[in-house]
Amino acid sequence: MWYTYSKTQVVNQDKEPDHKLKVYSNITQLIASPENPTPLVRLNGINPSKDFQIYLKLERYNPFGSVKDRIVSEMLKALEIGNRTVVEPSSGNTGIALACVANALGIPVEVAVPERIPEEKKIMLRFLGTKVTEADDALCPLFPTEGARGVVNALIKSPATRGGYISPNQYENELNVLAHYRMTGPEIWKQTQGKIDYFFAGFGTCGTITGVGRYLKEQNPEIKIIGVEPSSPNHKLPGMKRITGLDEEFIPTILDRSVIDDSVEVTDEDAYKTAIALARKDGIPVGPTTGAILHVALRYAESNKGLAVVISPDDAFKYTSFYKNILEVESKGTDYEI
Amino acid sequence: MRYDLSDFICPLSKMKATEIIDGLDGGETVRILLGDPDSLKSVAQELKARGIKPGFEQEGESRFVLTITR
Repeated sequence: MWYTYSKTQVVNQDKEPDHKLKVYSNITQLIASPENPTPLVRLNGINPSKDFQIYLKLERYNPFGSVKDRIVSEMLKALEIGNRTVVEPSSGNTGIALACVANALGIPVEVAVPERIPEEKKIMLRFLGTKVTEADDALCPLFPTEGARGVVNALIKSPATRGGYISPNQYENELNVLAHYRMTGPEIWKQTQGKIDYFFAGFGTCGTITGVGRYLKEQNPEIKIIGVEPSSPNHKLPGMKRITGLDEEFIPTILDRSVIDDSVEVTDEDAYKTAIALARKDGIPVGPTTGAILHVALRYAESNKGLAVVISPDDAFKYTSFYKNILEVESKGTDYEI
Repeated sequence: MRYDLSDFICPLSKMKATEIIDGLDGGETVRILLGDPDSLKSVAQELKARGIKPGFEQEGESRFVLTITR
């Protein structure tokens, strides 16, 4: 069977469809790559500086809605799953990407999430048919601040369950770094025509900052790589991790500190205010982690010159319940100008 | 009733023990077998938070029995 659109053949069951026409043989082919990059958008409203241009790398344009789409496909391809269930700790984005890719491949998935992530993400995971285990951060003394990681560790290692599960383990999987080294980094280099001076990303699993940072430093060692972390371990920035003060054994092994020039702390309040201001001044609805990273870039803009790229891991829609509280305060008269 | 959770490490052991405790009727007693010190520590913490003082026995080097009455 052949389907045609005008005189152009768009779908051919024997040949790979033409991606330039946005036709794909499966959903995973939409995951960004240097040939199909996520957009880079200049910020004109929130950033008053003419000397420090800031571009947002909008990872929400990946097919499952976040930067995590890039790593999941790479990690799953490399796993020898057999008859086992794939299980992973996640603050939501990796879980959603994992569920989508696994569903497309017919692989069973379970996800352990921190209790404190937005309900929207939990609902999405259940919508995708994923078994979700909610874990209190203080659930396990072996993982004192990350109960979800503890749950997955126990499923993999408990005599009662260990044969039935396998984990990509994004915190220790070098493919997490490699996906960004091979894809995100080259995309940014190409999109900025090598003119990038600063790259801003958050600390989480640390795959993005390590992979992109390593690639960009190899192209031009003068590029500054800036890491952003929450100012408190008890933060409301899902996906971010406070590295400062963390026991070495809980720091993701894939983090390469040698590529990082500076790390800066951000409060929840500054992160959420910046995200809201961005939506109102540039019309871009982003998640609070983008707000956190952008807040730091805006601080740099006050006293530096150059071209900056800020990674925007996801969009605002998965966090509406979190934003709701702030908007309620605002409606009572609080001023949210930055 | 005796529940053997010795093949579950922490925090699965704690989660399953919590389910068992939540399902107890008032005055009901259960014995829970745990297989490692971390599991014992986390389940004991959970019981303390609930104001439950369990009975304790050790079977061999790393098998711990908690007797719990709700």
